[in-house]
Amino acid sequence: MSQATVAIRPARGFVLPRFLTSEHPFPWLAPITAVLLIFGVYPLLYALWLSLHKRNPATRISIFDPEYNWLKILTDDRMWGAIGHTYLYTIVAIAIELVLGLLIALLLDTDRRGYGVLRALMTLPLVVPPAVTGMMFLLMMDGSFGVLSRGLYATGLLSPSTPILANSSTALTGILIADVWQWTPFMVLIMMAGLRALPKDPYEAAAIDGATPVQAFFKLTLPMLSKIIAIAVLIRGVDLFRTFDYVKVMTEGGPGTATETLTAYAGTIYFKNADFPYASTIALMTLILVVVTSSLFIKIFKVRF
Amino acid sequence: MQGPRFTRILRDITAVLVVGIFMFPIFWWGLTSIKPISAIFNKDEVVFFDFEPTLVNYQVVLFGKSRAELAIESGSTFGVGGGSTYDSRKTILDSTLVAVGSTALTVFLGVIAAYALSRINFRGRQAYLNWILSQRFMPPIAIIVPIVFMYHYAGLRDTITGLIFIHTLINLPIAVLLMKSFFDDVPVDVDEAAMLDGATRFQIFRKVILPLVTGGVAATAVLCFVFSWTEFLLSLFLTNQIRTLPVKISTFVTSTGSEWGFISALGTSAIVPSFIFILLVQKQLVRGLTLGSLKD
Repeated sequence: MSQATVAIRPARGFVLPRFLTSEHPFPWLAPITAVLLIFGVYPLLYALWLSLHKRNPATRISIFDPEYNWLKILTDDRMWGAIGHTYLYTIVAIAIELVLGLLIALLLDTDRRGYGVLRALMTLPLVVPPAVTGMMFLLMMDGSFGVLSRGLYATGLLSPSTPILANSSTALTGILIADVWQWTPFMVLIMMAGLRALPKDPYEAAAIDGATPVQAFFKLTLPMLSKIIAIAVLIRGVDLFRTFDYVKVMTEGGPGTATETLTAYAGTIYFKNADFPYASTIALMTLILVVVTSSLFIKIFKVRF
Repeated sequence: MQGPRFTRILRDITAVLVVGIFMFPIFWWGLTSIKPISAIFNKDEVVFFDFEPTLVNYQVVLFGKSRAELAIESGSTFGVGGGSTYDSRKTILDSTLVAVGSTALTVFLGVIAAYALSRINFRGRQAYLNWILSQRFMPPIAIIVPIVFMYHYAGLRDTITGLIFIHTLINLPIAVLLMKSFFDDVPVDVDEAAMLDGATRFQIFRKVILPLVTGGVAATAVLCFVFSWTEFLLSLFLTNQIRTLPVKISTFVTSTGSEWGFISALGTSAIVPSFIFILLVQKQLVRGLTLGSLKD
């Protein structure tokens, strides 16, 4: 910024190089580029460098051994389990949140009185810190005094001998419930914006042709919303893939490794084993999977920002 | 939709019910925070309203009342121990400093970058934008281990400055893309008119365009604040002494039993600022959540 003010002052024989004037993008973009390079790009290269080392847990010394971690990760059953949980969780959560979000958006999308308040209330879950959301549901799912658990016991859907989060076959569902609660409003908001932007004419034409509202939804609304749905799914999917907060506070990846997502697994290796090279390898693998999956998605569904 | 009266009523009921279900966890959380211990841990029945409301949980987490004092007042020694760890006044201060600091830095860096990306044509602009977008998609876990090492050597570990930088990194892509969409809304004619009067780019930005997008700047700032306020993973890795609220709350869960009264009191206090802020920027929320690609 100081360069810019210098540039406009009639300098005494000194002219600033053009790339330092405010006509050039350099002074505007240099600070943010520096931050992104120092805190974003450099650590990524550093992580790659770390992953090429083998750490001896006894001596705490890391030696250069480029293949060690990358071969280990391919045969690591726990890693494959984490990949499986992450994909399963991501796909199921997106499906539920999208369908619920669309239905609730259709429900709340009206000019009638009072619905504005309902729409505003619907956005509140979005800004609860995810760690706090995890705690809320941990409390409600407590095996002995949790209100949700007791409700499920009363309806017979769940037995007190197998609490949701302590049972390896239902623990992931428990975490999913917290996620769906927090992020369905995200889909609702985006779908409502999409619905409001839709043109009215096709619906009038369809009504004249005698189409039912359900037909109009599938033949008109869904196709016209597809671009927005693709963007919403991409953004949500990338965030779901890095799920950590709920897992950390609700189950710590347990029971056993039943709810361990990729980020949670990397966290465990870091905190419990202090194996920094291997934690970096898992983290980089997560990045590779995100890049590959989201690129495929962008290609297949032709997403454009 | 102007259906018959019956359909309208049915829709109203469904809408209230659905929103009610989504509000229940927040309601239950707030309710738990004013319950006495006996009502929270009642294993015989779920206690809804049949209890004596108490502010004791808030006194402990927000005003630093020690648990020894509590025990003396109640005449029982149930659950005494680790008295000072539930006092969260410093955590709230730390969290506020980190959120305000990173919001200020992010908005400053993001706004000037977004202006250039919106107005100045240069080779590789689209590629640069894609690079910024790709930063948003990078999972934080991929960089956190090296960041811990870097911070260790730079003396930034366990410092507010360190957290401000890393939250800035995470929020920058959102701030840039969002602000660019606001700048793009201002017609280029405005710049050109000012340019004919002999103003430099910087003068145009400062005097003409920036005043036109203050609403956008406010929305960006609110979103950055909320993201920083709620961030968990990076703060967990980078701190031991300084704690942000989400991390502090997670430490209240112990293997010997969780102090749900204190947890819910601090949790309720943590979500109130977010709620107020988010209600202020309802109109820009969709744009913010879709990185400026969808306008409401």
